[in-house]
Amino acid sequence: MRNSRFALCICAMTVVLLAGARVVAHADPAPSATASELKDAAAKAPTTATLQAGDPGGTATGTISDVPVGDAKAGLTLGDVANQVGQNKIGVNFTWTLVCGFLVMFMQAGFAMVEAGLCRVKNANHTYMMNFFVYGCGLFAYWILGFAIQMGGAAGNGNLGGLQPLASEHTLSLFGKTWGLFGQSGMFLSGHTYDVGVMVIFLFQMVFMDTALTIVTGACAERWKFLTFSVSSVLMGALTYPLFANWAWGGGWLSQLGTNLGLGHGYADFAGSGVVHAVGGLSALAVALIIGPRIGKYNRDGSPNAIIGHDISAVLIGCFILAFGWFGFNPGSTLGASGAGCLRIGSVAVNTMLAGCTGTFGALLYMWSLKGKPDASMSGNGLLAGLVAITAPSGFVNPTASAIIGFIAGVLVCVSVSFVENTLKVDDPVGAISVHGAGGLWGVISVGLFADGTSNYGGAWNGVNGSVTGLFYGDASQLIAQLIGVSTLVGFVFAFTFAMNWVLDIVLGHRVSAESEIAGLDLPEMGQLGYPEFVFAPEPEYLMAAKKVALAS
Amino acid sequence: MAATTTQGKSFTVFMVGITVAAAGLAFSASGIGKVALVAGLAIIGYSFFKFFLIKPSEGAPAEGKQPAVLKLAGLVLALGGWLVVLLGLHLTPGVSGRMVSTLLGLAISLFGILVILPIAANKNAIWKA
Repeated sequence: MRNSRFALCICAMTVVLLAGARVVAHADPAPSATASELKDAAAKAPTTATLQAGDPGGTATGTISDVPVGDAKAGLTLGDVANQVGQNKIGVNFTWTLVCGFLVMFMQAGFAMVEAGLCRVKNANHTYMMNFFVYGCGLFAYWILGFAIQMGGAAGNGNLGGLQPLASEHTLSLFGKTWGLFGQSGMFLSGHTYDVGVMVIFLFQMVFMDTALTIVTGACAERWKFLTFSVSSVLMGALTYPLFANWAWGGGWLSQLGTNLGLGHGYADFAGSGVVHAVGGLSALAVALIIGPRIGKYNRDGSPNAIIGHDISAVLIGCFILAFGWFGFNPGSTLGASGAGCLRIGSVAVNTMLAGCTGTFGALLYMWSLKGKPDASMSGNGLLAGLVAITAPSGFVNPTASAIIGFIAGVLVCVSVSFVENTLKVDDPVGAISVHGAGGLWGVISVGLFADGTSNYGGAWNGVNGSVTGLFYGDASQLIAQLIGVSTLVGFVFAFTFAMNWVLDIVLGHRVSAESEIAGLDLPEMGQLGYPEFVFAPEPEYLMAAKKVALAS
Repeated sequence: MAATTTQGKSFTVFMVGITVAAAGLAFSASGIGKVALVAGLAIIGYSFFKFFLIKPSEGAPAEGKQPAVLKLAGLVLALGGWLVVLLGLHLTPGVSGRMVSTLLGLAISLFGILVILPIAANKNAIWKA
């Protein structure tokens, strides 16, 4: 009896224990440490009553209460916090890229002042208007077509949220490799490309495109028909610039030279010495060759005459505006200030400043030592040449290399101006061909020489792991990739622009009549003098003789 | 003659044409897109025809006629040098070989641009008169 009672107790206890375990197994799990920490932090956040008292020190503003909660029932979770971190990263990068784009847009004012200042007063209105209207021509052409060609296949940028709508690149299969040619997504920024990330990259790339277009107006100033300038600029913004820019920046074949052929990291152009400045400078050379020199620029024996600009103060202030805008041009090309090596923006900005400084020295010392005077306009061009040259390597080199690159550019621009004027007999009123063409090509080549392999933009560049490294730091193949870029600029971009403008010359005619040119383009072309209250000084003797010849022929 | 209302109207037609053509290209998958593309190209062509008609009213510019054959030769050399570079990439696998072919192609292009084209541009230059 006693044994069976004992057994019964044991069984009962076992049943109770098992039942209890099942209850415990089905009970709600205890809250995790993270969730409880988040709850505690949320509870300690300043209340509305606290905030209503004002927050002069800023210690109560911007707290856990500002993190959006995905599920009100669940409360704040780690997922909510992680999402906010992602938003913050993209928000910082959007803001950085947009503000830098605004700075580059302001460079249009700098270009306008430099070019108009280097031209005669009778052409001031026309020169300013070309720089004003090129903004509209380029932006419109880029919106309807150019952006799609350039960036239509540029998806994959992690800094700006991925840009996944830009996923349409036309390719060519050649010798067993696939090569990008041009994009298609993004015309009119419509459909799936109506996207926050796409808007940011559109604005940033558009202002770069417009810089290239405005360069041509300088080389062709004082004789370019406003109608033909307008048509030429629209076509350049729609076709010429976007095509090369796709090849370099939009996932095209130049950027694939590394992945496809093992040539360094492919054509590397951080902010556009080649894509923007060399395209602009070589296009300027093409149109200047077609349009011919100004009346009175050359004597019968081929010796050039200096045609002095009317406002050196505008030139130098314009140069400073450009230098200021360049802080958006180069550092902004990281496309962000958070993640993927973007903290290098300080280095890029300093490199830019240094190259501009030594570019000024290069040109000024050259002119002062060899020509006898520290020429103001050439000093300004030296600053610009240094800035143009550092544009491509700015993200890949150290400050010492930047200084060297800038100095060489400053000397190069003086040599090039003389070569273009005296040897080629091409009239370039502002030196655009030398500053942007020669300076831009030097900048592209200098990447292949001076890139020091210390940059780290997400562990790879153009799909090739590691850092861009030039010849002086051990990679000769990078120099070859850069030279292929130079060859494409010289051989294709120049030829394409020349052919297109040759057709425009046949159909429209690039040059104004001799009468309009002699009178100054302000009245015939624009209907209004730039400075209506000025009393014009008589022109030099050599110009009077040249006018008679021009009118007679 | 310089800027005129006819120039303004012709440029407006050109801008309409390029906009319609681009819209047609953007929606070329649809029938109406294809129609717009063709219409846009036709409008551009018409605008160029108008440009050509008004060109003589500008008056004679101070430039001599540039020989077309010489200009074409310069262009061909510029483009040809680039093609030499591209071909060299595939024919020469090594770094040294590619460097040589690239420099050779570049030299050909530069000869066309810096020698032939300026000769063409200055052959009948106004300042030689």
